[in-house]
Order: sequence, then structure tokens, then C-alpha cells
Amino acid sequence: MANIGRRGFVKGATLGVLAFTVGGVEVIMAPGEARARNVPFRLLDAHQAETLESLGETLVPQAREAGIAHYIDQQLSVPPHEALLQARIFNVRPPFADFYRTAIISVDESSRRMFGRDFAQLSATDQREFVGRMRQNKIEGWTGRPGAAVYGVLRADAVDVVYGTMEGYEALGIPYMAHIPPEKRW
Amino acid sequence: MAYEKVDVVIVGAGASGSVYASVLAKAGKKVLLLDSGPDWELSDLISSEIWGRRVKPAGAPILLEGKNPMAYAAQGGWGVGGAALHYFANFPRLLPTDFRMKSEHGRGHDWPISYQDVAPFYDKVAREIGVSGDAKAEEKWRPAGEAYPMPPMKTFRNGDIWMKGFEASGIPMVPAPVGMSSVEFKGRPACLYDGWCHVGCPVGALANPQVTYLGEARKAGAEVRAWSTVTRVLTNQAGTRVTGVEYYDDKHQKQTQEASVVVLAAWSAQNPRLLLNSATDKHPKGLGNASGLVGHFMMSHHVANTWAMFDEDVQNHKGTVAVQYMSYERYPKKSHDGVFGSSFITAGFAVKTADLANSRADLYGPELADYMKRAARNLAGIKAFGEEQPNMENRVELASEKDAFGMPLGRLTHSFDSDAVALWNANLEEGLRIAKASGAKEAWSARGTMPTSHLLGGTIMGTSATNSVVDSYGQSHEIPNLWVAGPGIFPTEGASNPTFTIFALSQRGAERMASQWGTLTN
Repeated sequence: MANIGRRGFVKGATLGVLAFTVGGVEVIMAPGEARARNVPFRLLDAHQAETLESLGETLVPQAREAGIAHYIDQQLSVPPHEALLQARIFNVRPPFADFYRTAIISVDESSRRMFGRDFAQLSATDQREFVGRMRQNKIEGWTGRPGAAVYGVLRADAVDVVYGTMEGYEALGIPYMAHIPPEKRW
Repeated sequence: MAYEKVDVVIVGAGASGSVYASVLAKAGKKVLLLDSGPDWELSDLISSEIWGRRVKPAGAPILLEGKNPMAYAAQGGWGVGGAALHYFANFPRLLPTDFRMKSEHGRGHDWPISYQDVAPFYDKVAREIGVSGDAKAEEKWRPAGEAYPMPPMKTFRNGDIWMKGFEASGIPMVPAPVGMSSVEFKGRPACLYDGWCHVGCPVGALANPQVTYLGEARKAGAEVRAWSTVTRVLTNQAGTRVTGVEYYDDKHQKQTQEASVVVLAAWSAQNPRLLLNSATDKHPKGLGNASGLVGHFMMSHHVANTWAMFDEDVQNHKGTVAVQYMSYERYPKKSHDGVFGSSFITAGFAVKTADLANSRADLYGPELADYMKRAARNLAGIKAFGEEQPNMENRVELASEKDAFGMPLGRLTHSFDSDAVALWNANLEEGLRIAKASGAKEAWSARGTMPTSHLLGGTIMGTSATNSVVDSYGQSHEIPNLWVAGPGIFPTEGASNPTFTIFALSQRGAERMASQWGTLTN
């Protein structure tokens, strides 16, 4: 046990970072930084990304800026056994992209039926009302995975990017106290 | 590539498999552990809830059905160390009454052994891997045994603040026994109380397999072959003995590993799946399944979570994810009026930001943001684990759908019966009374989905092939060189966390195997 030290005894090596592709080169950065640098998405199209950002922001303020769409996009591009998404814990069956794709379709279809527009185009008040109904499985004509499941998974993703990072802990005034800190404070 | 025959092949390198590997390798046996996931090292255990998900189940999914589907992926493990790589290391034990449910209450099963048969192995495991606690204090509820090798862990305000409420409710609380180091133990450092136990403790203060049995096994010559997915247990033509296993290696190539003895230690759902998938003309219902009980009597604990906000800063980031206090006061099976089943009460644990958010899963938007700020200072919780009785309908069976290796997926059906629901409700109601008596500013029960915790049964032990799958050591009634290890062999579950008992039963089974080796290989 000689090599096992105390708090923060070793860095997270290359394991604690996410790889984004910029100009054909893999660059290590946090999702919020990827968003700020306008890193292209790997799998999501612009509408899907916009919808995930809107849902994330409605669920947890600051999720958009924290890079929720870039986080989900990057995670969907890695093999399921490497994915860090809460979907894995919620018994969502891989490929996880299917869950997000169908969730976005269900949300938009219901949003258009209720408000005549896609979810991302709704006012903040309508988005909030929609999410509240989705949480309680109270949207008529909803198809696909139950609304409560979509709420649970996306809310967990948003909590991850806003509060699950070292910055998130700092913002709440909680000492992080890592044994092995994730790199890039992620 | 043909591998040399080994004495023992162990399927699964988690809690039970690592004990078998250690005991048998030290006894001079050639031991091979096959695990379907990666070979994690301590330096992989990053302190992050996000990164901690890498050690949760991947690969072929278990299909989850029933009224109360098991939280399989949250509970299970993946890779070397298994679920014990990220377990909380709560080390309470079963009590004598758990071994006699049928005799005492006419329900469920009796174990074919008594508490006294297991007690020496609790003590032995505690000495081997280190347990912190106060055995004397526990002896108000259980027979006397050895003192734990380390004093109790520190407590924190997030645990201490509940004591007034428990006292007012007539529930004595004592230091919880945990598989963690309160002081340096066998070269392993004392705990830092940083609360990252559940994503894997890289420090070595928590007794995960990597720093205990698995390390010992490797030192004694055991081989660990990661990324090796076992799909069948193989038998001789007469069907009287197992001869090894079929598995797919890290390159997805089919391999055969011959062995004198096979130990299935792949957790409660995968062990039955393997036995059922290993059917032959001599064992048409699956190996060891003359009773038709393979896969049946799956059990889980239900958890009554009570959360409360206090006026003061309870420093809920401090401590371990294991609990600080525990009580068996509601353990007698009829503790609550008109309700059946044991309850195991706990208090005081560190929380992370995901826990804060999950403690009010209904909140979102600005309300959640506001709540997170308050919860970061003032939130604390208590938990009561409740017992469910073994039910034949809670089961693992093979699905028609297959995994990447052509093996049928497992389908796990689980529903709590009315006794379990009533017990859960009684525990939630008591939790609110305790919170109020503790001076909480506000308190609430985590209702909604009834939480499942731990997974037991499916290959239960008993006295014969007519009523069970294995004997009290885990040896198949029908095929002497086929053994099953882990919580799957529990015929009833009690209410306390199972891992200490898993270690103790595995130690007992492995020692038996070593002592009876000649009868297994002839």
C-alpha cells in the first residue's frame, strides 16, 4: 500500500476529461468550454441540441451555459460501457442515443399539440408548464418513454453539468475534497 | 488459444468471488477469476459522481419487469471488484431470527444453518479485512462475539442531530459497524471522511476487494482474466460433473476453460441466467435445477428514506456514505402493529450534490436552484431498510432476446407484496415522527417509487434438491463440483445490508471446499 497516499494523491491522468473534436483534432475540455468555443456536435443536429439546451435550462438553471448539449452529444459518441450518463443508472438500454432521439421527438410533438410550436420556441413560462406536466405523466397523447422518465434522465443530466462538477460544488459552497480529482475540474 | 486446466474457475471477481479466490489460492489451488468487465485499479477511482458511473453495470442488460423493478444498474457492479468496488461498506449482520423465519412465523424459509454457524465467520472476516464498530453495544440485540478490530468511526452533525429524535422514540442507536478503517489497519490508512465511498475508495481505507481478498488472492497466485464473459457452464456427458466454462474473451473469441471446480459468483441475477443457459439433455431445465427453483425467490430490500431540513449547518458533506448510527430495535418481525418483517434503522451519512437534488426529485427550475442552496447546509436523512419475504413469483428467467454473444438475456421480475408495502409505509411514518422529535424545521418522506436496494435469492440454500438449489456452503445438491456464491444463496434476506454476510458465507464455503477438496475432484 506504499503508493496509496492521502487526499489528492494522484491526478486523474487522462481519465477525467472529455474529448471534443475541433478542426479534426481531439481536444480535452469541459462541456461548458466546448459550448463557449462553439465546438461542432458529433451526433446531434442543431435542432436536437437546441431542444436539449432548452429542456436542460428549464430543469436546472445554467445547464445551457454549462454545456448540457455538448455533454450529452459527446457521451452518446462513446461506447455505452464508457458512457457517464445517468441513463446508464436508470436502466436505459443502449444505444442511449435512441432514448434522447425519441425523447426529443415526443417533447416536440406534444409541444406543437399543446402550444403550436416546438419546445425550444416556447416562452420560459410555457416551457416550465410543459415540463411540470411531463414530470407527472400528464400530457395527453404523449408517445414513447413515459414523460416522468424523460424528466428524470434529463434533469439528472442537467444536475450533473451544473452541480456535479467541482465548479458546481464551489458555487454551492460545498468543499469537494477529492481523493483523485477529475481533471479540468470536471 | 487453449488454456491450461485450472483447479477452480470463479465466474465474477466481486465480493464473494474474491473471497473464494483468496482462500483457495492460499490453499495451493490454481485459481482463475473470469470477469466480464475491466480490471479496475485504485487509480481509476476518480472522486466524481459522474466518473463513478464507469464502475456500474454495462454489457448485456437484465430486462426489468414487475410492479417494483429492481434498481439493477444503480446497485450492481461491473468489472473486477464488482459491486463491492463501489459499495457503502455497511457491515451489519443478520440476527438469529433471520435463520428461522419458517419455524418462528410459518412464513418464508428456514435456513439450513443457524446464526451460530455463521458467527465465527463474521468474526474472522472482521479480523481479516477490518471492521470499525462497537460490538459490545450491538450485543443488546445479538449473541456476543469478538470485539471489532477497530474503534467506531467518527460521527458528524448530520448524524448526531437525529439522536434526540431517536431517543424520544425509544429507539437506541449505536455506532454502525463498517468495513472501513477508523485507524490505520494492516498498512491501510484511516478514512478521510470525504464521502466518496460510493464511487470507489482509492485510498484503501474502505475494504473493497482490490485492497483485501483480491489482493491476497493475486499475491497467492490467482489469475484474473478481465473482459471475459462466461456464457455456459460445461458438463461431462453423463451430466454428473461440471468440466469448466465457455466464455468470450476480450477479442470476442469463444474460449473454453477447463476446471476441476466451477464457482458461480456473478451476483444474484447472472448466476441463475448462467445455470439456465447451461441446460443439457441430462439437465433440461438448467444445471442444478431439479427443484425448478433456479431463478426463483429473488428478493430486495425496500428503503424508507426520510429527509429533513434543520436550522443549523449539519455539514452534510462530511463523513462516509456508510452510516454512522444503526439500530436493530425494529428488527423483530412484528415490531410494527399488524405488519410483518424486519426493519433496520440507520442515520448519518455524507451526501453529494446528486443526493441533494434527488432528495426533492419533484423540484426543477428556480425552485430547485433555491433548494440546492439550502440543502447544501441544512439537509440530513435517515433510512430504514425493510425486509420482503421470499416470493416464488419474483424470479429471473431467460428472455427470447439474445446478447452480443448469442446468450439469452435475463429477465428479472420483481414486485413487493402487501406486507412489504405496509412495512415501508410504517417505516416512513415512524421516520417523520423521529424527524419532528429531532427538531427538524421541515421533514418529508421520499414517496413515489418504492426504492429497491440489494439483490438476493435466485439460487437459495436449503436441505435438499427438493427445496433449494445449493446447500449451506453453496454446493449444488446435484453436481458436487458446481458451487454458487454470493447473496443469491440467501433463502431469506433479513433487513440489514448483506455484504458482511456475503463475505462470511463465502469464507465458510471456501474453507469447506478446501477441506473437502478430495471429494470434489474424484
